Amino acid sequence: MRNRDLSFWLFIMPVILSLSIVIIIPFIYGFIYSFTNWNGLAATEFLGFKNYITLFKDAEFRAAVWFTTKFAVTSVILLNFLGLSLALLVTRNMKTSSFMRTVFFMPNLIGGLILGFIWQFVFISVFGSLGDLLGIEALTGWLSTTATGFWGLVILTSWQMAGYIMIIYIAYLENIPKDLLEAAEIDGASSIQRFWNITFPLVAPAFTVSMFLTLSSSFQIYDQNLSLTDGGPYNSTQMVAMSIVKAAFKENKMAYAQTQAVIFFLIIATVAVTQVYYNKKREVDL
Amino acid sequence: MRKKKHFIGLVSVLLISIIALVGCSASDDDGEGSASGDQVTVDIFQFKVEIKEQFESLVDEYEKENPGVKINVKTVGGGNDYGASLKTAFSSGEEPDIFNVGGPSAVEEYRDYLADVSETDAAKTALEGTLDTVRDGDEVLGLPFNQEGYGLIYNKRIFKEAGINPDDIITFEDLEKAVESLDSQKEKLGIDGVFALAAKEKWVIGNHLANIFFAPEFNNDPVEAFNAKTIAFEKGNELKRHLDLENKYSVQPILSLDYSQQVEQLFSLEKVAIIQQGNWVFNSINDMDPELAENNIGIIPVPVEGFEGHIPAGVPMYWAVNSKSDEKVVQASKDFLNWMYTSEAGKTAVLEDFKFIPAYKDYDSSKIADPLSQAIYEYASKGNTIQGWVYQGAPTGWSENVLGASMQKYLSGGITWDEMITETQVNWEEERK
Repeated sequence: MRNRDLSFWLFIMPVILSLSIVIIIPFIYGFIYSFTNWNGLAATEFLGFKNYITLFKDAEFRAAVWFTTKFAVTSVILLNFLGLSLALLVTRNMKTSSFMRTVFFMPNLIGGLILGFIWQFVFISVFGSLGDLLGIEALTGWLSTTATGFWGLVILTSWQMAGYIMIIYIAYLENIPKDLLEAAEIDGASSIQRFWNITFPLVAPAFTVSMFLTLSSSFQIYDQNLSLTDGGPYNSTQMVAMSIVKAAFKENKMAYAQTQAVIFFLIIATVAVTQVYYNKKREVDL
Repeated sequence: MRKKKHFIGLVSVLLISIIALVGCSASDDDGEGSASGDQVTVDIFQFKVEIKEQFESLVDEYEKENPGVKINVKTVGGGNDYGASLKTAFSSGEEPDIFNVGGPSAVEEYRDYLADVSETDAAKTALEGTLDTVRDGDEVLGLPFNQEGYGLIYNKRIFKEAGINPDDIITFEDLEKAVESLDSQKEKLGIDGVFALAAKEKWVIGNHLANIFFAPEFNNDPVEAFNAKTIAFEKGNELKRHLDLENKYSVQPILSLDYSQQVEQLFSLEKVAIIQQGNWVFNSINDMDPELAENNIGIIPVPVEGFEGHIPAGVPMYWAVNSKSDEKVVQASKDFLNWMYTSEAGKTAVLEDFKFIPAYKDYDSSKIADPLSQAIYEYASKGNTIQGWVYQGAPTGWSENVLGASMQKYLSGGITWDEMITETQVNWEEERK
């Protein structure tokens, strides 16, 4: 690591350059814009913290943050539970396991927008007809209330991402040395004991990775939100990403949207860093 | 030896970075609207997806007639997507030479880029009132696209079987009676509901429906609304009455009922008798059931006290010419727009291919393509329209995101009507401080 000569810097130069062009410089710009009255064409005035003060008073934005947090927590728990369960299921020696891996992974290949429309059809038309047919009130009127909109989004994301998370768990599950499990079995450990005391601690790194992935992606969900509920009814299922887009392009408050984005970045960064830090601590090495 | 290795490494790194960088800088040799020699290139960025192909073939025709002009058309659909894409185009420096602006707020925002088009023939023949929102002193900053109108679109067959004459529906009471009568005959008529109220679409309730009721307090003038510090909702109770009526007799749940369900699934399949929509639904209905579209649909106004029998009609968007483009390009752009609305070939295309309700004089109204547009043109020619889409003068996003969302909240039972009024008023005043 010591000999960082010219060629070292030259080798990483392309990456640093493109990283700064597409991420770092725009980010700094955006940060600066959040202190002005930028409208997308020009910034004429420096406003200081005015946008930030307005933001903290903005009930709609707070509602969006709260909704996103609730959604993220629910889907992180659900996704990791589903992902690990599916992974355990397909790593048992079954004839159909590679077929099932494909099946579970498949939804991940469909784009979020299309998924949203597919599930919109399922929730509204299929659920509606089933509800009418069976006389179950709870199945009709999906997506027309805040609660059904919330669960609709959770179901959609779980369906989409569980297969992806499953793949991560599979990779770690298959890395567990067979002799450890065998030894435990010989010593008389039950399958539950083997899972809790051997498998579970050894897949901890997978938890770190997949929790990070699910957490950050469920915070940033936009297209599923847009195509499934479009934030409705009455903006109550609007997530932060959508709130930013709306402020920028529908209400034409570009600088204000930047302010939201800066705060949003801080929230995600804090949550993700904390999560990785704590998860790392409980990982065990062989 | 070491030196040589180093050298090879250096060269390869340089090569990689050059390739990477060249790949990034997209070649933008055309698309700048540059005027080289006699050839003039005009970039058009327009919003109406419905006429994309027809518009492009009209452009081809123009290019054949005028070999010195090359026109590139880019179409991005939907009101909001268009606004966002236009702004992106401007801030990235890829400014189009011809683009579209909506109401007064868009005009104010792009004011520096709007060229004066008052000397074109098209501007001189534009129907009275259609230029109000794009006028600044003597200057005219845009040319109207077309006119659009909306109201209650009904199914003639269902009305006939129910024994209702649509011409008798003038006041709110008439409408209420007709709706009740339709509702009582639901079984016989084979319908699921009288209305299909697409309350999921905030623009249906927040922009269109509400506009009819708050336009009168701004004298039907978007510019007056644009300068207003507050909104009084003088006709708020009438709006509530109408909304409640549509809600009560609509197919439920309305809050997840969207535009395509409303127009395609429910109205086109004759599952409902009335929808609140505009002439733009004609093509969708026509795709589903040409027979129904041609012969069995009509439109009546939403009854408003004092304005009975008047249909709201207005200009959804204006063509603007970028004043910062090359002088030659500006002229070529004006010439093209003028040609489109005043030449014979252009007029025919506007009427028959675009199926527009023209916003200009000297058009043969008998050639208007569909019955809804024709009905609206008839209302217009008799002076029975409420001109101007006043919601375009509301604070940006207000009518949709604030009013529309609050109306949804009211419909869901989350707030009372009075709370809704206060909430939206407060927001209007905040924005106009």
